[in-house]
Amino acid sequence: MSWIPFKIGQPKKQIVPKTVERDFEREYGKLQQLEEQTKRLQKDMKKSTDADLAMSKSAVKISLDLLSNPLCEQDQDFLNMVTALDMAMKRMDAFNQEKVNQIQKTVIEPLKRFGSVFPSLNMAVKRREQALQDYRRLQAKVEKYEEKEKTGPVLAKLHQAREELRPVQEDFEAKNKQLLDEMPRFYGSRLDYFQPSFESLIRAQVVYYSEMHKIFGDLTQQLDQPGHSDEQRERENEAKLSELRALSIVADD
Amino acid sequence: MESKDPPGKENLGTKRKNLAFLRPRLYMLERRKTDTVVEGVVPGDHSGVLRRSQSDRTEYSQKLQEKMSPQANGPTAASPTPEEELQMGQMMAKRAKIIKELIQTERDYANDLELCVREVVQPLRNKQIERLDVDCLFSNMESVHQVSAKLLSLLEEATTNVEPDMQVIGEVFLQIKGPMEEIYKIYCYQHDKAQSLLESYEKEEELMQHLGPCLQSLKKIYMQEARPALLDMGSLLIKPVQRLLKYPLLLCALRRATPPAHPDRRALEEACAALRDAAASINELKRRKELVLKYKKNDEDESLKDKLSKLNIHSISKKSKRVTNHLKILTRGESQVKDNTFNKEEKLFRSLEKTVRQCMKNISFCLQDIQDALPFALQRVTELREMSQHPDQEERSSAENPRFAPDLCHDFAAQLQRRVLNPLSALLSLFPGPQKLIQKRYDKLLDYNSYLQRSERAESDLAKKEYEALNAQLVEELQAFNQAARTILINGLCSFGGLLRDLMLAAQQGYATILPVPRLVSSLGEIQNQILVKVQNLNFVKENSATFIERKLSFEKKKSIQTQPEVPRQTETHRSHLLSTYSAEGLYQAKRKCNATQEHDIDLLEGELVAVVEQKDPLGSTSRWLVDTGIVKGYVYSSFLKPYNPAKAQRADTETRLCDDDFDDISFFVSWRPGSDSVSGTPEGSISDSSSSLSGTCGKCETKGSDVDGFQEVDEQIFYAVHAFQARSNYELSLQEYQRVHILRFCDLSGNKEWWLAEAHGQKGYVPANYLGKMTYA
Repeated sequence: MSWIPFKIGQPKKQIVPKTVERDFEREYGKLQQLEEQTKRLQKDMKKSTDADLAMSKSAVKISLDLLSNPLCEQDQDFLNMVTALDMAMKRMDAFNQEKVNQIQKTVIEPLKRFGSVFPSLNMAVKRREQALQDYRRLQAKVEKYEEKEKTGPVLAKLHQAREELRPVQEDFEAKNKQLLDEMPRFYGSRLDYFQPSFESLIRAQVVYYSEMHKIFGDLTQQLDQPGHSDEQRERENEAKLSELRALSIVADD
Repeated sequence: MESKDPPGKENLGTKRKNLAFLRPRLYMLERRKTDTVVEGVVPGDHSGVLRRSQSDRTEYSQKLQEKMSPQANGPTAASPTPEEELQMGQMMAKRAKIIKELIQTERDYANDLELCVREVVQPLRNKQIERLDVDCLFSNMESVHQVSAKLLSLLEEATTNVEPDMQVIGEVFLQIKGPMEEIYKIYCYQHDKAQSLLESYEKEEELMQHLGPCLQSLKKIYMQEARPALLDMGSLLIKPVQRLLKYPLLLCALRRATPPAHPDRRALEEACAALRDAAASINELKRRKELVLKYKKNDEDESLKDKLSKLNIHSISKKSKRVTNHLKILTRGESQVKDNTFNKEEKLFRSLEKTVRQCMKNISFCLQDIQDALPFALQRVTELREMSQHPDQEERSSAENPRFAPDLCHDFAAQLQRRVLNPLSALLSLFPGPQKLIQKRYDKLLDYNSYLQRSERAESDLAKKEYEALNAQLVEELQAFNQAARTILINGLCSFGGLLRDLMLAAQQGYATILPVPRLVSSLGEIQNQILVKVQNLNFVKENSATFIERKLSFEKKKSIQTQPEVPRQTETHRSHLLSTYSAEGLYQAKRKCNATQEHDIDLLEGELVAVVEQKDPLGSTSRWLVDTGIVKGYVYSSFLKPYNPAKAQRADTETRLCDDDFDDISFFVSWRPGSDSVSGTPEGSISDSSSSLSGTCGKCETKGSDVDGFQEVDEQIFYAVHAFQARSNYELSLQEYQRVHILRFCDLSGNKEWWLAEAHGQKGYVPANYLGKMTYA
């Protein structure tokens, strides 16, 4: 009512207590953050699985290209080796696909379902806001009439305004209470909700990587009949390279 | 020989010979001027002694003969006694001299080598100086020394305590020829490289500090033994090369001094030929290498200017000849010289190159992907964990937060780089050299072919020689190349596999530490569903879903209002009124059902009769006509109208009626009657319908609709297929485009409004709602 801001002595009546408003903001803020997190994680999870798939696809491409190479036709040993490699790569791809499916089912889908609750929440919060505004408006009306001189028509209007105010006020209070009550519960539910997803994700990864370890362990055993160590191989490479460089057809001088 | 005082008369000869040794460069220059056959000898050729053609060598042996002649020819000329005895005696004396010289020089030579090895090579090897490539400098001098020592001992064995008549020198050489050729081949092959290396070393103070003392001590020994002063390191290095060339000469001389009856004669002849062959083959080897170097260098260091300057008539004609020849071979399948070994090796080489290149590329891509994927996945894990754990737990677990991924990936990348990518890229960089040579070889082959065809003897020989040299070199070295390249490639792949294995193990362990004992997976869905149900039961969710439904319904309501015309339908009385009021020409019938789209438009049902008042609309467009339905006047698109034919209409009426009767028999709902039956549409129908949709249940809508006005409801239930639809199961109904169907229910059993229960030709089934339209003019 007053045109002078911060006028002391005649504060605008606080229809919602500050603490309540603060609690509400806090709870809602947490949930907004959670929504943001859920959305982002869902998107990133998808990206991550895509990256995983790209990885195994590119690994498969290595062996496929090797297989299609004419070198394989001329060299049986090489062909055997490449076939073994190809097998390992394909198995890796298959397992990877399986892992991604698993993650899709146990992580991304639940994330999505959880995320689908948020629109309702936001809607509810919006409705509360709407109700609050109605409440404020009617409250202001009532106050206006209260301040006026108590003439007959004014009293009648005041009465009418109060009548209008009551259901709106009740509506708002119910909504407010409900949200204040339910938001923390919703927020709390995320822990139990995501824990299984998390565990499942880890499990999928552990299973996948242990399978991969097995596959590539087998592969290296298959490839390394003489059982070269990496250092030996490195040395051999060096020796071969210098051997090559010594050839007159390549000598780089 | 050059290091030792030859006895007596030979002094002069030796000096001349020494001169001859210093002259190869001179020869080269001379030859370059005179010898037109060899075009463009390698510039700056310092390869030296071995690089001597046959003519050089003959010249050389002539000198040797000159040297020998004074003693050989002198006496015979002085005392021309016919007695063979004397001649034999002279020959044997000469022979003994030559043998003595052979052994003496060999001894000196072996001694030199030994000194060199002892005083220079060994100390340098022991010092292990990083920048001093002892192996390259001295090559296999030790082996050369061993061979020489062996030869010496064999020679001594063959001569001491053996009667001159029985001394067989040729055998000794034949015996040692094999290993000798092998060892000298390596040494000679490396020699010019060693020479250039030495030159470069001599420019560097630091290296000379190492070389100098060795050389000094060597010189000191030479002084003590009163031998000719050692010039420098270069003369030391060249000794084996010189020595090798001297063997055939000495043997030839020996052969000439050997009487035909002597047992050594035949052996000597063989040995002489064998050693000449050996020298020639070593020479050829060197020539090949030089040829290779020449062509390899060709393009590398040249600027555009050089190339242009080289572009003369000769080269152009040569190139064009090659091209035409190539075309000839391609088109006419002309016979050409083939080398299967080479072709095989070349194919192998090319596929190796391709493989290595692809492998490199793919592996680097894969590495990139792995580097992208692994840390990213882990980040997600961390995030999800943050969401799924209580704050207090988070505190605890962040301590054991898995930080393995970045390091892991980094390690993996580094290892992969070192063990796989680096060797492969090094290997890849070696491919262009041989490629160029292979190309050159083809060129030479083409030259050779073309000369062959035109039978130009001299040129053909040269081309053949060049081609064969290049080919032989390529075949030999490509084999080695391919072998080595294959080994490196396979090693790379093995390492790649091993690295992947390690990576996987590390990743597995990393993840396992996050969650040591995972729970059973089966409960996951249940747990989450329970929680979701709880969440759904929260009031704000429930309320919201209610409002969603409300909104959806209100939306539908609005739509239905739009589509429901509130125009009363034509009745029989209206029709007769029209028929009586207007002339037959002015009467039209609606071909199809049409809905109002603009203001003042009217709705028509199929078959409804209208009288055209004006064949244009207020804007003058003739596509919309002003018509009178007997109830209202309004505009209709003329394309919906057809002239009214009373007889036909009558027949159609009866037909549809028959049809309808059938439907009445088999279907439980009241069928729609055609417009000619003048069904009166009531506004209540549509209103009640929309109000029923407000109540939110479709079943109710239907029943209510049919209660209020069967016909109206029937009208509401006529839809047309906008698209054809193929039933996928018994529960679905196939639709033709434009086919008319009755909709029995506007939702399926579970209340899904996307699927409607439709009926056509006595069959019932579900069809997708969005395939249907109220109108067929779509």
